[in-house]
Amino acid sequence: MTPQDIEIRNATYRLFVELGRAPTVAEVAAAVGEGSEAVGDAWRRLHDAHALVLDGEGRLRMVNPFSAVETPHRVEAAGRTWYANCGWDAFGIGVVLRTDSTVQTTCADCGEAIEIAVRDDRPTTDDAVFHVLVPAREWWTDIGYT
Amino acid sequence: MLVFRSEDHVARWLAGRSGGATIPITKLAELAEAWWWDRLDPDWQPHSREQNQAILDRLGLTGDFWRLG
Repeated sequence: MTPQDIEIRNATYRLFVELGRAPTVAEVAAAVGEGSEAVGDAWRRLHDAHALVLDGEGRLRMVNPFSAVETPHRVEAAGRTWYANCGWDAFGIGVVLRTDSTVQTTCADCGEAIEIAVRDDRPTTDDAVFHVLVPAREWWTDIGYT
Repeated sequence: MLVFRSEDHVARWLAGRSGGATIPITKLAELAEAWWWDRLDPDWQPHSREQNQAILDRLGLTGDFWRLG
């Protein structure tokens, strides 16, 4: 990961929050004054370094904790609806935005809706648990499954 | 990495499979704060594995299951 890769990564994150969605290669290229090919190449290196996740077409899939696509883990924060990649990421969105949030997800067992308000980085209820199925050393073997 | 209503729901979902680790939602919030806090910092730098392991250790998430590598 080069210093330019990190600059492109930081611009990608900044644009994600400004736009409320995943930026395109062209949008990031314009922001950093580079060509689209340079940004695409940097994204691939960042993907390999687990700094973000691309889909099979080379588009952003995860700008963790944000998801570029709709998921069952929805977060209301900073006046917008965001999607997270998992329960862990859902609680990270308010953290990175430095604001209170409301996490809306479902129980993976029974499908019942679970809504948890987070205030000052603390959930207002302890009426739920979080399960990590995959051991830590294998998290990036298949990050989508993890 | 999923949310459940309770540990009973985790057990039912596992249906006899060996599970991983279950933590309270309050601990998850602590973990999220420590893990994600700097992701939008303009001067963000990548975390090393040792830095990430230190976060897990500090929160008491220890043992082989929580070893990053």
